[in-house]
Amino acid sequence: MKKLVIISLLLVLGYSLMNTFSDIEFGKKREGISSYFLEHSPDDLQVANTVTAIVVSFRGFDTLGEVTVLFLAATAMGTILFRRRSKHTGLNPQRKSPQASRIVQAAGKLLFPAIMILGAYVFIHGHLTPGGGFQGGAIIATGFLLLLISYRQFKVEHKYVTWIESLAGLSFVTIGLLGMILGPHNSFLENFLNVGSLNDLLSGGVIALVYIAVGFKVGAELTGILDTLINIRETGDID
Amino acid sequence: METVLLYLGYFFVSLGAVFLFLGAFGIFRMPDFYTRLQAGTKSSTLGAMSLILGVGLMQPEWFFKTLIIIIFIAISNPISSHALARGAYKTHQKPLTDTIDAYEEVVKEDETKNEEE
Repeated sequence: MKKLVIISLLLVLGYSLMNTFSDIEFGKKREGISSYFLEHSPDDLQVANTVTAIVVSFRGFDTLGEVTVLFLAATAMGTILFRRRSKHTGLNPQRKSPQASRIVQAAGKLLFPAIMILGAYVFIHGHLTPGGGFQGGAIIATGFLLLLISYRQFKVEHKYVTWIESLAGLSFVTIGLLGMILGPHNSFLENFLNVGSLNDLLSGGVIALVYIAVGFKVGAELTGILDTLINIRETGDID
Repeated sequence: METVLLYLGYFFVSLGAVFLFLGAFGIFRMPDFYTRLQAGTKSSTLGAMSLILGVGLMQPEWFFKTLIIIIFIAISNPISSHALARGAYKTHQKPLTDTIDAYEEVVKEDETKNEEE
């Protein structure tokens, strides 16, 4: 009986989803604003990845807001959880969990540089290939997570994390303001560099720079969040 | 040569699909944690590796990249399953049927050694 209810609910859900998406023809030429983006991002901006062109250039101001939201979330979490941590443990909290096995430790050491390189690759090539600052930053944070779970004594220095994060955010805003000063139309986040040619690494002008800054910022923020969480969990202060 | 590579690629992709299906099937059918883990990780390692190798054979210009991905899977997937199994053992997950636990003796020996030190 329960299964029948579940199956019928799934069927209703699937039917409504199908109704929604069957109107959209696959591979049809888009009209309106989508075709504008598809035509203008390779020609005007020399950016191969249209998603990046939209995220960083056409709605770059909104991306600045997104980065700020992420920063606020990380800060709020740090504030709430840090108080609980300092209530019980002293200055030097030692994690209680058992040490990870030697195999995991060796693999963590082996895979960490590879993960770092992959993360950096993803956000440096954000204007050419799928992915970008947010994804690359998340990959870098997973590299630090691997070290955090395999080495009990590994600690992330929050001082440096905060510095990297602040500098990256500052460079995002600075690039935007430089666009206001140097750009031809004097608008925020406008391109003021040589756009180069399509599919080159040095193309797209400021878009690549902005995405590198976003990558550093997201990576540092997520690393800070993970370190806070793992210390809370492992010092066992929340009952 | 290209068609040979293409059909070899088809072969490896279907092999990978079969192994991934068997892995998913094993997770449903196996009775307890360890057998499920074995079904889910062993066959998915081989399945993912041969699937990606098949893609690399179909598109020879991607072959080097797929090789890197295969090496990554060959390192990371067995180690993650090792960590899962060790975590389950340390949290006293019991196997369903009677089994011989050789690891227990090793752990006991280690503990006595640590106490002596």
